[in-house]
Amino acid sequence: ERPQVVSHVQQALSYTLFDCKWVPRSARLLCLGSAARGTGVVQLYELRGGRLALLREIEKAKPIKCGTFGAASLQQRYLATGDFGGNLNIWNLEAPEIPVYSVKGHKEIINSIDGVGGLGIGEGAPEIVTGSRDGTVKVWDPRQKDTPVANMEPVQGESKRDCWTVAFGNAYNQEERVVCAGYDNGDIKLFDLKTMSLRWETNIKNGVCSVEFDRKDVNMNKLVATSLEGKFHVFDMRTQHPTKGFASVSEKAHKSTIWQVRHLPQNRDIFMTSGGAGSLHLWKYEYPAQRSKKDSEGAEMGVAGSVSLLQNVTLSTQPISSLDWSPDKKGLCVCGAFDQTVRVLIVTKLNKV
Amino acid sequence: MPVWLREYSWRQTGSVVFLSLPLRGVRVTAANIFCTDRYLKVSIPPFLFEAILYAPIDDTNSTAKIGNGIIFFTLYKKEVGMWDSLTLENASKEKLQYLRENAVLKAHEKAKEETEAKKVTKQEHKKYALEATMKIEEAERKRIEDLKEQERQKVIKKLELWESQQKGLEKQMRVQKERELSEEVQQLKEKKKEKISKTRIPNEEPSKTRLKPAKGHGSYSMFSENLKEEQLPAPRSAGTIKINFTSRVFPTALRESRVAEEEEWLHKQAEARRTVSADLSELEDLKEEEKNPDWLKDKGNKMFATGNYLAAVNAYNLAVRLNNKLPLLYLNRAACHLKLRNLHKAIEDSSKALELLKPPVPDNENARIKAYVRRGTAFCQLELYAEGLQDYEAALKIDPKNKTIEKDAEKIRHIIQGTIQNS
Repeated sequence: ERPQVVSHVQQALSYTLFDCKWVPRSARLLCLGSAARGTGVVQLYELRGGRLALLREIEKAKPIKCGTFGAASLQQRYLATGDFGGNLNIWNLEAPEIPVYSVKGHKEIINSIDGVGGLGIGEGAPEIVTGSRDGTVKVWDPRQKDTPVANMEPVQGESKRDCWTVAFGNAYNQEERVVCAGYDNGDIKLFDLKTMSLRWETNIKNGVCSVEFDRKDVNMNKLVATSLEGKFHVFDMRTQHPTKGFASVSEKAHKSTIWQVRHLPQNRDIFMTSGGAGSLHLWKYEYPAQRSKKDSEGAEMGVAGSVSLLQNVTLSTQPISSLDWSPDKKGLCVCGAFDQTVRVLIVTKLNKV
Repeated sequence: MPVWLREYSWRQTGSVVFLSLPLRGVRVTAANIFCTDRYLKVSIPPFLFEAILYAPIDDTNSTAKIGNGIIFFTLYKKEVGMWDSLTLENASKEKLQYLRENAVLKAHEKAKEETEAKKVTKQEHKKYALEATMKIEEAERKRIEDLKEQERQKVIKKLELWESQQKGLEKQMRVQKERELSEEVQQLKEKKKEKISKTRIPNEEPSKTRLKPAKGHGSYSMFSENLKEEQLPAPRSAGTIKINFTSRVFPTALRESRVAEEEEWLHKQAEARRTVSADLSELEDLKEEEKNPDWLKDKGNKMFATGNYLAAVNAYNLAVRLNNKLPLLYLNRAACHLKLRNLHKAIEDSSKALELLKPPVPDNENARIKAYVRRGTAFCQLELYAEGLQDYEAALKIDPKNKTIEKDAEKIRHIIQGTIQNS
């Protein structure tokens, strides 16, 4: 029996929704977006019975593009947001008038944000990474004001390319950490923060909409990168070949831009991709018999496995731009689409996959 | 002339007539027999048998058996009664004719009716079949829907359970938080007391230890965070990584590039450089370098720069003779002609240059702008302001930010409006 995607609640909103996130350790979710009058909106909903009850609505000066709880502790659960003006803010949702941390990190809109080191996941300092249209990727520590702890920027004179997505990974001990960034010309770059160097880069020809490691807090295992024109690539990150880099398998799906990929927190081999035609695909990755093999010169190279489609469903006619699994309930997820609705879905039978 | 068959034998009962017709050596099929309620005909060319029956028969139920060189008819009479003879004897020729035609018509009508009836039954069968399939599909769909509904219900129940669990957790966490806060407050109050008692600089201390209630709960927990900070590593020392982006021949991302056109343009350029229009007989006295169109182009450019326009034109002419596919030659020659006020030639050359600068790609933008501007100027100097304006607007479309082109276009517009008003 295949997993089914059951639509639980649908809520129409009066603003453009850019990001939706579950509040960890609760049945609440957060919607971030942009109101028609050009201001930012943060709404906090609680799942009650068969509907979403609005608990709080906060309005901010600039429209908000993305947010994460990744760097916050479980007690505080501060929300870090990136907005259209390039500002990174960290908010305490109990007292949202003044941000706990604020910096104008970028000259242009912050397209993507990720956090690591909080929520009891992983080890090491809490850090936030932001990727922006100005072509730079910056890593911030909430304890250090104004300056980023790492800055990945184009060389002088290089024409910049928009950074569309960022993700943390490999944070399995206090020192190790990598940041993966995807750009609009198809570049994927992997930065090692321990050695402050570029560890790997590749180009997948089409603009990279979303990258995610299957787990942030383990030795890098898999990385999924989705792109325009309906393609996504799964890289096996355990074995890096000196010239060929990481092995990958790619798959075509959705027949349109694949906006987001999100791994199931409870099972790192299951992930969901959302497409520009309003569809969601649930995938399972199968490892190959041998994950690495020796090539002709004796260097180790990785072997990519295979991806199989578990289920697909079409929910909307507009792109589903954001997706988040609940870390507390297996199979519960929220997705936000450009038709100004937020939907709470339940994926069943994930235990039997 | 048909051969009439007259050898037949017949007998009858009250309701049936049996007629047997021998046919030697001929093959009979059902098509050869034609029967209506008063007329019977068997026609197997050249043989012919016909009978105007004494009384009407029921032709639908009557049968004809073909076999063994004989046709055996079993004709059921419409009315019971004995016939005097098989056929009507005193039938006149006209009556015969009339009966024959009538018979044929009747047969036709019957055939029609039968086909109609068949059609109708076919339709009904089809409808029935359709309805049956629809019902089956409905049932299937309903079954799937029910399954899904069941799943949903199960899952929703579980979810509600989880929700109430979460609420419970929240309450716990809140209670814990409050407890921690009150502890903090106690600790800090004690610290304050100590400090005040220890040192006698109460003014400086309070700023550090005073609790700012305006900030809310956040500040309390931040303090507790500070205590725990020894467990977390210090913020990373700042570092910068410089990156390069994947280079491409044309600096546009795949989705923006017009690869096909750009390939075409590159191809054309490569071709152009290779062609050498052979006119070697005249050119034998030229020096080696003078046969190179690029060298000639450079020469022409230099002479243009010094103001020697006629010489520049000569250089370009020669270059064109050697290679007539380089758009820049025509472009530069147009500039010379403009200076020499050979306006028609300038227009010609700019047009030729524009032709060669297809397909339009970012690479040949500058060249195209120059071509349009030069042609526009030539038109204006010939007082063909409308065409001139067209060319200026085309140039502006390629590069909307160029102020000089904009200004000149404005000027031309004014002139056109001025002349319209005057005339």
